[in-house]
Amino acid sequence: MATTSVTLSPARAVRQFSPVALLKRIASNYIVRRVFKAAFTIFFVITLTFFLIRLLPGNPVEVYINTQMGQYGIPYQDAAAQAAALFSIDPNEPLYHQYYGYLSKLVRGNLGKSLISVGTPVSNIILQYLPWTLFSVGLSLLISFTLGIVLGMIIAYRRETPLDHALSTIGSLLHSIPNYLLAIIIVVFFGVRLGWLPITRMRGSFSPGVTPAISLHFFGDALYHAALPMAAYVLTTIGSWMLIMKSSTLAALDEDYVTVARARGLKDSRIITAYVGRNAVLPLFTQLAVAIGFVAGGSLLVEPIFQYQGIGLVLRNAVNQRDYPVMQGIFLVLTFSVIVANLAADLLYGRLDPRIRVGNTKE
Amino acid sequence: MKQAGTSNGAGGKPEDKLVFAAKDLVVEYRTRRGPVQAVRGVTFDVHRGEAIALIGESGSGKSTLGLALLRLLTKSGVVREGSVVYYGRDGFEVDVLALGKEELRHFRWQECAMVFQSALNALNPVLRVWDQLYDTVRAHRPGAHRSDVRAQAVKLLQLVQLDPERVLLAYPHELSGGMRQRVSIAMSLLLDPQLIILDEPTTALDILTQRTIIDVLLNLRRELGFAMIFISHDLTIAAELADRVATMYAGRIVEFGDVRDIFYNPKHPYTVGLLEAVPPISGDLVALKSIPGNPPNLLALPDGCKFHPRCPYATAACSQEDPPLRPVGNGHSAACIHTDQVQLHRETVEVAP
Amino acid sequence: MAQLVTAQSEVAGPNMLRRVGGGSVNFLRLMFHNKAGFIGFVVLVFIVLVAFLGPLFVPEDRNAHVNQIYQQPSAAHWLGTDYAGRDVLAQIVRGGRSILVVGLLAAGLTTIIAVVFGALSAYTGGWIDSIITGLADIVLTIPQLPLLAVLAAFISFKSAWQLAFIIAALGWPTLLRAIRAQVLSLREREYVEAAQALDLGTTHILFREILPNMLSYIAINFTIGMTGAIYAQIGLYFLGLAPLAGDNWGIMINIAYTRGAMFFKNSFWYIMAPVLAISILQLAIITMTRSLEDIFNPRLRQGE
Repeated sequence: MATTSVTLSPARAVRQFSPVALLKRIASNYIVRRVFKAAFTIFFVITLTFFLIRLLPGNPVEVYINTQMGQYGIPYQDAAAQAAALFSIDPNEPLYHQYYGYLSKLVRGNLGKSLISVGTPVSNIILQYLPWTLFSVGLSLLISFTLGIVLGMIIAYRRETPLDHALSTIGSLLHSIPNYLLAIIIVVFFGVRLGWLPITRMRGSFSPGVTPAISLHFFGDALYHAALPMAAYVLTTIGSWMLIMKSSTLAALDEDYVTVARARGLKDSRIITAYVGRNAVLPLFTQLAVAIGFVAGGSLLVEPIFQYQGIGLVLRNAVNQRDYPVMQGIFLVLTFSVIVANLAADLLYGRLDPRIRVGNTKE
Repeated sequence: MKQAGTSNGAGGKPEDKLVFAAKDLVVEYRTRRGPVQAVRGVTFDVHRGEAIALIGESGSGKSTLGLALLRLLTKSGVVREGSVVYYGRDGFEVDVLALGKEELRHFRWQECAMVFQSALNALNPVLRVWDQLYDTVRAHRPGAHRSDVRAQAVKLLQLVQLDPERVLLAYPHELSGGMRQRVSIAMSLLLDPQLIILDEPTTALDILTQRTIIDVLLNLRRELGFAMIFISHDLTIAAELADRVATMYAGRIVEFGDVRDIFYNPKHPYTVGLLEAVPPISGDLVALKSIPGNPPNLLALPDGCKFHPRCPYATAACSQEDPPLRPVGNGHSAACIHTDQVQLHRETVEVAP
Repeated sequence: MAQLVTAQSEVAGPNMLRRVGGGSVNFLRLMFHNKAGFIGFVVLVFIVLVAFLGPLFVPEDRNAHVNQIYQQPSAAHWLGTDYAGRDVLAQIVRGGRSILVVGLLAAGLTTIIAVVFGALSAYTGGWIDSIITGLADIVLTIPQLPLLAVLAAFISFKSAWQLAFIIAALGWPTLLRAIRAQVLSLREREYVEAAQALDLGTTHILFREILPNMLSYIAINFTIGMTGAIYAQIGLYFLGLAPLAGDNWGIMINIAYTRGAMFFKNSFWYIMAPVLAISILQLAIITMTRSLEDIFNPRLRQGE
């Protein structure tokens, strides 16, 4: 018998047992890289906020001290001490000390205190409002992503049918409308003009008299109040998921392994899920990073319109009142949530696509 | 190295029992510019354990034919006319074109499996080899035991000279092109089909790997005795693997006969052209350009014999009549009105060692 | 029609400028054949004409008319009146220009950043590539609107340029990634490899071979950038973080929102007019872009 050329695949050929190679392998590991990237992004954002607060001309720390001194005749030392408590930054220390102190306070969850509701720690405000935003935004992303995938696959399989045309048109129509404008349209049209939605009752994050508890009743109530912001998020994003999924499904259907799977006599259900769907869904993950940030950021405009008591509403008020500690705290936490969500999406992507798991420099 | 046409992998004469018969098959694609016939009336049969090679340039309809036999044509492709009959092991006859959805699903792979040209892309990139093998068995035998499937998979992977321990748990991208193609071949044998269609199984591979695949196939046929329809543009590979050879041109079989007759005594100018072009073992299509002119444009086929614009023997009569396959003796037939003049100028085809 | 473009995109000549020149004629014809895209194109042209020429024909209406507050649409006021009895249509007609200008400026800046650094990143590779893509990934992850809001609270945006600049400063990463991917794939094309083999130099290859081939792609990304810039811009006006002076759809929404116009049945047209104006503008741009994509991407077009 002729000798066969058993070539080693590149991924396996690298496997040598030297410390350097081991380090390289760890560094090239997909999960390690992603975690590192997320950590670095968080660090970057924290540093950025620090510089905004402390170093920009007319930065809030200086402004605060000057106002305190000028308006209330408070001596500089006292004003600086107050500022240190409010912003987690002590303006009397050398800059790198301030930076270090800022970082170490952040690590301990100290985000300073509100300027407006005097004395309230920013972390308390965040703990009170953030869960609602995470709930409504997270659930919306999940619904929009999964529903978009399912609908995208359906219209790919039924392409050029009336269903395809109708869904594609509605999808791109809704996708074109900015989410906060859709929110206004919902209130004005369905709430006021037609009177279909009890928009006043749906305000807030849960009904008065209902106590937060882990129960179906409470979940239903929370969902009722989150429904309108969620509708705004879902409706404005589902179209693009659907259309991306449609085109990547069409691309996957052209792949040889799908024809081969049919030749192998696999059941349609198996081909649709494991052969077409699983491959078609991969390109969507590159869009997920943008979508998560986009929807989470949109809460800043969407929540106030429905008076949904989430972190976006609080951030908008803080921005309007120039409550800098609250602003930076919410911004940091919101960004942190987005980065963590992205990391989760990246890790899921790594699980779905074996090709990127180990040492592939092409991304 | 074997001399071309002197011996074949399976050895011995094909058994008399048929496994497969296609009759007057016409396949049409709907395009923007109207329907196009990619296969225009093809008739052939395959006996048990026999290997048939379908040889032709791209656009000759050979790959379409392969897909049509398993009813794998895309939505725009339709079998317009003809019949495809499959003869099962216990003598039952199956009208392949009339099978219902579930029957067709079970016909595929259990009775007739296929190995595709695109070695690199025939396996799902996100599933391990084992999962794909297991998927295949489970689709047909839902009650199959994992351990039985595993034993069968190990046996077949060994037959195609792969290390089962390594390959079963690998993802396709971790395997070389040749390894992937051998996995595909092993997978085609998983349900012990009577017939395997191989569509250019060596084309995407380098010469050395091609060699391995051919050896593997020869070996497997000796061992398992399945029948084969081998689709290729490369006559030298056909010489090694096939018992009978059909050359296809513009959607039609233009010559059909025993592999020795085709190689030593070709009766159709196109076959002669292919042989004289001395395809290098790399199977590079460029070499085939030494037949003057271009492969036929299916959208605008010439009148009469479709090969006549490129044919050195062409006469005025050739542009009038499209000749049917006519017997020229010894089970050998050719579709040409000048069979008595056609001659191969080189006595033997050198098959590079 | 379609074959023309397919054939074109398969042409691999050394000087691709010719192809682009020939393409513009086909582009209009194709555009015309894609109904939705054509409608989007026409609507966009209409909005641009109204925004830039409309103010010449529709008189400004600055004075309050206490006797005609929140009127319904009528012959005198096609879109009704606002909280001070002023004509809404006049505001809509005058309110598009600055939105379009800032959108164009921001999209232009974004595209320039994305093309220059995307091409650089893809073409040089190595650590430059790592730094640029790394930075893009970071900026991409930060939620844009909150960052804009925080920035705007520190720095007040005064001019259209400032607004456009800050939007572009945060909006480039998506486009950069798209451009980089495109350059990477073009780099593998035969004519680029030929130019490399001929040693024509990086600048020649980038500006003569690669960029001209990407013009259609860049055009698509420019329009996508424009929708993003409009979204961010109106968001800033809505938050009250951009100067609330002059006529502008964003300012209209802000004022209508603060005045509680969402909740009165009579003020329906006052709040809906700018909302619809912006939505229609975005829809027109996106529809046009979608069909541009269909035209330039032969694989998608096959589905027709």
